[in-house]
Amino acid sequence: MQSNLVSFIQVLRTHDVRVSPAETLDAMTVATTLGYADRKLLRDGLAMTLAKTPEEEAVFLACFDRYFNQRLSDFARPEQQVDTDSDESSDAEEAAGDSYADQSPADGDNSPLTTAAADNAEIASLLNSDLMQSLVNNDRNALTMAIGSAAETVGLRQIQMFTQKGQYTRKILDAMGEEQLRSAVIALEREDNPALVELQRYRDILREEVRNYVEREYLLHAEGKTRQFMDDILSKTRLNNIEHTYLHKVHELVRKMARKLASRHSRKRRQVKRGQLNMAKTMRRGIANDGVMFDTYWRQTRKEKPQILAVCDVSGSVAAYAKFLLLFLYSLQDVLPKVRSFAFSSHLGEVSSYFDDYPVEKAIELVNWKYGGATDYGSSLQDFARLALDDINSNTTVIILGDARNNNGDPKLEIMQGIYQRARQVLWLNPESRKVWGSGDSEMLRYLSACHFSAECNNLKQLERIVDQLLKSTR
Amino acid sequence: MQIDDFPQLASVQQIEQGFESFGYICSTKIATAVFLAFQLRKPILVEGPPGVGKTELAKTTAELLDLPLIRLQCYEGLDEAKALYEWKYGKQLLYTQVLKEKLGDLLKGAKGLAESVERLHQFGDIFYSEDFLEPRPLLKAMQQERGAILLIDEIDKSDYEFESLLLEILSDYQISIPEIGTIKARTSPMVFLTSNNTRDISDALKRRCLHLYIPFPTVELEERIVLSRVPDVDALLRHQLVQFVHSLRQLDLKKSPAISETIDWARSLLLLHSGQLDEELVRSTLNVLLKFEDDIEAADAELRALLNQN
Repeated sequence: MQSNLVSFIQVLRTHDVRVSPAETLDAMTVATTLGYADRKLLRDGLAMTLAKTPEEEAVFLACFDRYFNQRLSDFARPEQQVDTDSDESSDAEEAAGDSYADQSPADGDNSPLTTAAADNAEIASLLNSDLMQSLVNNDRNALTMAIGSAAETVGLRQIQMFTQKGQYTRKILDAMGEEQLRSAVIALEREDNPALVELQRYRDILREEVRNYVEREYLLHAEGKTRQFMDDILSKTRLNNIEHTYLHKVHELVRKMARKLASRHSRKRRQVKRGQLNMAKTMRRGIANDGVMFDTYWRQTRKEKPQILAVCDVSGSVAAYAKFLLLFLYSLQDVLPKVRSFAFSSHLGEVSSYFDDYPVEKAIELVNWKYGGATDYGSSLQDFARLALDDINSNTTVIILGDARNNNGDPKLEIMQGIYQRARQVLWLNPESRKVWGSGDSEMLRYLSACHFSAECNNLKQLERIVDQLLKSTR
Repeated sequence: MQIDDFPQLASVQQIEQGFESFGYICSTKIATAVFLAFQLRKPILVEGPPGVGKTELAKTTAELLDLPLIRLQCYEGLDEAKALYEWKYGKQLLYTQVLKEKLGDLLKGAKGLAESVERLHQFGDIFYSEDFLEPRPLLKAMQQERGAILLIDEIDKSDYEFESLLLEILSDYQISIPEIGTIKARTSPMVFLTSNNTRDISDALKRRCLHLYIPFPTVELEERIVLSRVPDVDALLRHQLVQFVHSLRQLDLKKSPAISETIDWARSLLLLHSGQLDEELVRSTLNVLLKFEDDIEAADAELRALLNQN
């Protein structure tokens, strides 16, 4: 049972529940204290030591049921069999064919199979094999154990991708000696023997069982791995290349990254101004000590939370990136409470209110719809200056996301410079590769002179790094 | 703490029954957490929406075990002087003043500075000893002879740094005081930490605790809670009011009514001598359940539909 618990914890880890070795030890102690008899009690107890958040607890409960169900049902089944012996045993068999329900596989004395075995030595030896015995006698316990040990030999736990399911099913079947059964079926087919149907049924039951087993193990061991693999790929793909079907996954991923960043940067900002004594407080505290001022208190200033203005180009070429930047920024509400966002293509407008009124995805859709079009940086910058230049101060970070392709219009660099001088920092994120900055109608190189920092930003990894940096620099 | 010291905690069922006798109706999960916390000597981190009985759990455990409850309310800026210990500066000052004269006698006959210092050394650190230590809640909990229930309330309100301060106490039940050394708990206290989840607690702290999430209770459980807290409410009204509160929780509210609000509401309905819920009554007492004007308006609009559900 202990090794079972350890492998269960392994499963939890692949499902993104972080469990440290110390917690594993705790889980062991919990299991010993509570005993294995009451399953619900054990589950609650383990949940308390292993899961740290309500979300993790949900994952834990799902995994626990999936993992321990199959094992414990091994022991439940024989009883069930005793109860239902008269009305013909377990569910898989019913699924295999109702027409055979009236045939009792246990007392197969008069079945065609025994008759066939009488004339055919091969079939006789097959019938005597452990595998066939457990199938014929409906000994699900032995069968499950056989599947389990076969799975162990072929290393099913190493399963990584869902495409491997078929391959592993085959391997397990081979390891269990299904080949003999298969060849017997072929032989009977050739002879057109009446025993064929029954033998086929056993074969199908076996295959079904193994398939189910592999499926369960896959869900336990590999689903997490597949997801991690997928997340990894997605975070490195150019955002506008991601296929539509994966978008919701990307959203999840962005939220996950945002949570990570938020917890990293959520510490309170406070700064002690050295050299300025808080006289009032020092004296007040001194009263308790006969007016002797033991403790000195220094004036503190609380640093203002940063203000962030995000200006996003939502014209066709860059819209996908703007979407994810906004998604990121708005997922960081906890650490970046003052985000104002602006969208532009030919003209610019503030879109913050959309994000207040609608969920992020919906808001982004509305923004794209309202402001999409051909790009004009000049007039958009003019609009921006009119709307927000007065609010830019030494506490403001301006993030501009765009490819700086201005369709050969007037770039209005002087406005950018105005922003540059007032703001604490100006970041320009460009989804284009650095090599093509300045080529064709790109004004990027000219705008660069009015930016504190510029970066290429076209996949989630880069985006995460930039936002991380942003959080660090705005502290 | 040994098992035989507290037969009340010998099994999960016993804890459940014990709590019930003190009017705290809890789910098996909660009882399991208390049982494990006692067996493994681990603190419990209790999370959940406000008003589901997180603080009450600690209080009831203290009553059940007949141990003192020592409570530390966390807030922004809480530091070790208020949570752990402080030196009694006044007393130290006074003593130095008084003992000044004694010094003369003591050093009488000493030849030269070296010998005087030598003599002074014989007295050790009188002023930095436990006599001059003012224990604050955490240290106090360590000093209890029979053990104590330590409730660290709303840990999420405290600063990040304060969490690190707790780590030593929570894992080893000891406190290090630079001037004295390490003080170990006489009997390790049972620790409850509560959090409203206004911010994430650090992993290091979480790792040291059992994690208990108390959600809003099921209808049956809540009815039993109301029964035990406000026994005079008759069965029909009790059922109706719990049902109504449950349907309120389905709405998108700023703050959903918790158990404490349900109990308050049951009490107020009792005072109004009402036998069953009707629209007028609910409308006039809605402010007991909901604490935000927006919420009350939202619920008001849905009132008829909600009442018809029951």
